[in-house]
Amino acid sequence: MRQILAFALVFPAFLSAAGPAGLLQILTAELNRNFTTLQDKAEPKPYFLSYSVVEQENSSVSAVLGAITSNHTRHQRSLDVSIRLGSAKLDNYHQIRGDMPDFASGVPVALDDSAAAIQRRLWAETDRVYRLAAQRLTNINTNREVKVADKETAADDFSVEQPETATIPTAAIAFNQQEWAGRLRKLSARFSKYPKVLSSQVTVTAMRETKYFVSSEGTRLQHGRPFARIMIVAQAKAADGMDLSTSDSFSAADPKKLPNDKDIEDAIDRVARDLTRLLDAPLVEPYVGPAILSGRAAGVFFHEIFGHRIEGHRQKDESDGQTFTKRIGENVLPPFLSVVFDPTLHELSGEDLHGWYDFDDEGVRARRVAVVEQGILKTFLMSRSPIAGFPHSNGHGRKQAGAEAVSRQSNLIVQAAQTVTEKRLREMLIDQIKRQNKPYGYYFQDITGGFTTTGRQGFQAFKVIPLVVYKVYADGREELVRGADLVGTPLASFAKILAAADKPGIFNGYCGAESGSVPVSAISPALLIGEIEIQKKDQSRDQPPLLPAPTGGGAN
Amino acid sequence: MDLSRRQFAALLAAARSLSAQEQAAGEDEILTALQQELERTKSLKLSNLPSPYFAEFALDDTYSYSVSCVLGALISADSGRARIPRVQIRAGSPEFDNTNYIFSQLFGGRMGGGRIPLEAGPLVLRREFWLAADRAYKGALQAIARKRAALQNVTQQEKLNDFAPAEPVRYLEPRQTIQLDEAAWKERTRRISTVFDSFPQVLNSAVEFSAGYSTAYLVNTGGAAIRMADNLFSLRLRADAQAADGMPLHDAAVFAGRHLDDLPPEEVMRKGAEEVASNIAALLKAPAGEDYSGPVLVEGAASPQLFAQLLGAQLAPMRKPVSEPGRPVPMTASELEGRMGSRILPEWMDAVDDPTQTVYKGRPLFGSYPVDVEGIKPIPLKVVEKGSLKAFLLSRTPIRGFEGSNGRARLPGPFGGAVASFSNLFVKANETTTLAGLKQKLIGMVQQRGKPYGLLIRKLDLPVAASLQEMRTLAQASGQRGGGMVSLPTLVYRVYPDGREELVRGLRFRGVNSRSLRDIFAAADDESVFDYIGQGSSLASLSPTGYVTTHTICSPSVLFEDLELEKRTDDWPKLPLVPPPPIGG
Repeated sequence: MRQILAFALVFPAFLSAAGPAGLLQILTAELNRNFTTLQDKAEPKPYFLSYSVVEQENSSVSAVLGAITSNHTRHQRSLDVSIRLGSAKLDNYHQIRGDMPDFASGVPVALDDSAAAIQRRLWAETDRVYRLAAQRLTNINTNREVKVADKETAADDFSVEQPETATIPTAAIAFNQQEWAGRLRKLSARFSKYPKVLSSQVTVTAMRETKYFVSSEGTRLQHGRPFARIMIVAQAKAADGMDLSTSDSFSAADPKKLPNDKDIEDAIDRVARDLTRLLDAPLVEPYVGPAILSGRAAGVFFHEIFGHRIEGHRQKDESDGQTFTKRIGENVLPPFLSVVFDPTLHELSGEDLHGWYDFDDEGVRARRVAVVEQGILKTFLMSRSPIAGFPHSNGHGRKQAGAEAVSRQSNLIVQAAQTVTEKRLREMLIDQIKRQNKPYGYYFQDITGGFTTTGRQGFQAFKVIPLVVYKVYADGREELVRGADLVGTPLASFAKILAAADKPGIFNGYCGAESGSVPVSAISPALLIGEIEIQKKDQSRDQPPLLPAPTGGGAN
Repeated sequence: MDLSRRQFAALLAAARSLSAQEQAAGEDEILTALQQELERTKSLKLSNLPSPYFAEFALDDTYSYSVSCVLGALISADSGRARIPRVQIRAGSPEFDNTNYIFSQLFGGRMGGGRIPLEAGPLVLRREFWLAADRAYKGALQAIARKRAALQNVTQQEKLNDFAPAEPVRYLEPRQTIQLDEAAWKERTRRISTVFDSFPQVLNSAVEFSAGYSTAYLVNTGGAAIRMADNLFSLRLRADAQAADGMPLHDAAVFAGRHLDDLPPEEVMRKGAEEVASNIAALLKAPAGEDYSGPVLVEGAASPQLFAQLLGAQLAPMRKPVSEPGRPVPMTASELEGRMGSRILPEWMDAVDDPTQTVYKGRPLFGSYPVDVEGIKPIPLKVVEKGSLKAFLLSRTPIRGFEGSNGRARLPGPFGGAVASFSNLFVKANETTTLAGLKQKLIGMVQQRGKPYGLLIRKLDLPVAASLQEMRTLAQASGQRGGGMVSLPTLVYRVYPDGREELVRGLRFRGVNSRSLRDIFAAADDESVFDYIGQGSSLASLSPTGYVTTHTICSPSVLFEDLELEKRTDDWPKLPLVPPPPIGG
């Protein structure tokens, strides 16, 4: 008990401590010392050096059926050093087939602003990264002499951007671990009303993240943001062995803005009830035909099948499928749809968004980017790695500590110029079912996430993993089904979007890719798609537990 | 009908054993929940396949705190509670079951600790063990079926049983309370790390304190019921530098204890840090050593460090699992396997492994334990008598020629069994001379052979402090030369005929293994005691499990007639182009 009390006392104290004023100065001084000496003595010479420190103070509590199962606080600072040798035209980050630049390592640095300890670490890490960078540059030069240069190499390796200076204090978050432990005990116990749920968990996390970035170009940044999140998950096993899972989550900028107990209870009931009903739901058969994706489901659908393909760096990677590389100015979506990425948007219709930031992880100011206007592809999401025709970053170079930044998504917003009510959308689905002579269509209510392959060697395909899916019959009747995987190829799917509803659904989550996990949002109205493809999910063949669940043995 | 009657009987048995528990140690919610759920595993049954013949539930209830500092600055301070479960289900019979098979643990999955409640909640605890036992039972059935199938294609040289019988042990210590002044330890660690402020030639240093409190619970269907403290406290310090020729240098020290009070006072640990820093400073000035073959004096702490690796680590041969044709088992046999009764030390030396002893000459021992991880009470063992190998250290997994545990299971192991290891190993010499006399003998041998100098080793690298990269290089090097894996010697001195000592750097053992122990020529009348944190393997970092073992080795300085050391010829990194930043500047 003693240590739990200690957490409660310690955590708010360090959260409310003023942001360390000294770290930027320490980083700047050591950056200048290393950069000057390397420029003077090293061969090849660096033309760019940056230090990035990500500081995270986080706290989380989990509970299962009324009992706390984990209770953590953590404070860490991770350092990444980036050095560019050669010139912006050709440097050690140049893309070569099958070899990703990978210099960052996210080493821990002192939590105190102690110059001696931090400088030693910066110096050692600069030396390590310089050696790797020099080695890779040599490899690149050799590689280029051996291979015929292709026209994509016309683009430089590093764009010129405006240096930025800003010190934006990160708001302190008040997270009372003890109070949340009490709430989670009560909330998680609610799952005991659902005997068919095999395992469940309710977790709350709060984090304050501060990013420090200095570069030899003069950028000096300190900025950051708070996060708070509640995750509800439940798992069960159907009689035929299929593992089923449902979940829900809430995100907010501050724990205070997380929903009240009543709303969380409702979400738990929904998660548990959906799961219980899924256990007895019939299995899907492979199917091609019309479907509605709810707003959240459509958001994930766009994030996977569209968002990942307009990330700029993929357009110059020879091993990428490059679905959209040559399609600027062309119709890639129906004319009533536009797609915007807006990292400056903190909330939408009163709900906090997850994918915002003030500056990206290359120190470039965040900005709104209209990628598709009225169906026409206008631009890509850009980091400081230019591509032919797009010489500048648009503030989407992102990464997790320990990875190299590439262009990544922020807040994806699908906008429809013409909309209908959700009721009308449903009627349109039934019209489509009849017109296509299908016995039924589908409604995807909830989706957990998905994955997409953009590589040239893989299939240019995607798969999103739906949690809650209904069959919709021509007479309007609905039937919950299980085991559906939504599959397909991107271009074909986009062409078949027929209509959009008038209310946006928001999906807040984390996106994982080559530069690590970054917070993102995906926002879209519900969409009617003329033709989607469903395949049966792979399933486990294990039987459900042989013995009944334990009972008694003391109250919880 | 039959099933429900059995369940009823099981419940009654559970109730009976519980009342006994309560009398012995007061009510313990965890123990009760584990026992209730354990009883139910007896009725696990999948269609017409047999129920488990043995089940074991264990739970480590832990609280850990660690703090890491560099040059007076805090790098990290973490604390956390965790309850780590372990479930074992055996299907078949002790003669033939699902373990000791290369894929024993492939099925059924491992049990994650994330959902075990950290507070009152017996039903939640029971649910997790219920689900884990269900998976483990199904996995055991799959494993035993595949093991049977695999055996149809191979001829076994010798048929061994899979599980030795054992007496059930009930051992219930009073529950411990955690009393750790974290703020004070943080400051202490910080202060010790400032020692390196005065040694700018040390390029990288770190001091880490860690406190691990664990209450280990174990119940099995054989009737064992255990609750005991299994704590570990340590302060580790490490320093790195680079010699002018590029050779990376490092030195480390570890202070460890099973009780917080066993750690030495701050002043002693501070001195340890100063010593590590001075060693680095001296090594930076020392010349690189040359290949050497001849007499070697292993003095002070280097002696138990060497005995731990050449003797201790070899005393517990591993059972080779049943494999499938064309699938070799990645396992190296113990160098002592098949050598029972043979001479492995000079006939004037003995060795005893004694986990039951807790204090030696007023000093707490680090390798003691009341009950092993399979719930067996250990016994003291004379492992070497008059130079001859007398006993192996055994778990409940039978090995060639030996069946029946002597309580040496220290870690959960691969293939469903446990890893046996030594505890407090006392190596004694019955014929001795003074340390000065031993050095004189070394000089005598050097002169007799017309060598310019002999070698004296005072410290080996500590496996627990070495970097993974160094370990890999070492493993590669020893693999090529057929020697056992022995840590790098950090402090090696040339001893000239006039008695003068000269520190050299960059040497490693060549072809040294447990057979080298027979070349011990003489021993001193001194005694060095060394506490050692292991992971069941002599090269700790190569073993990926999170578990560690504790050992104490006690041995005299010894003179080897012949040992080989060679110059490390790796490619060293270039020196940094930018000079290091000044400390305090």
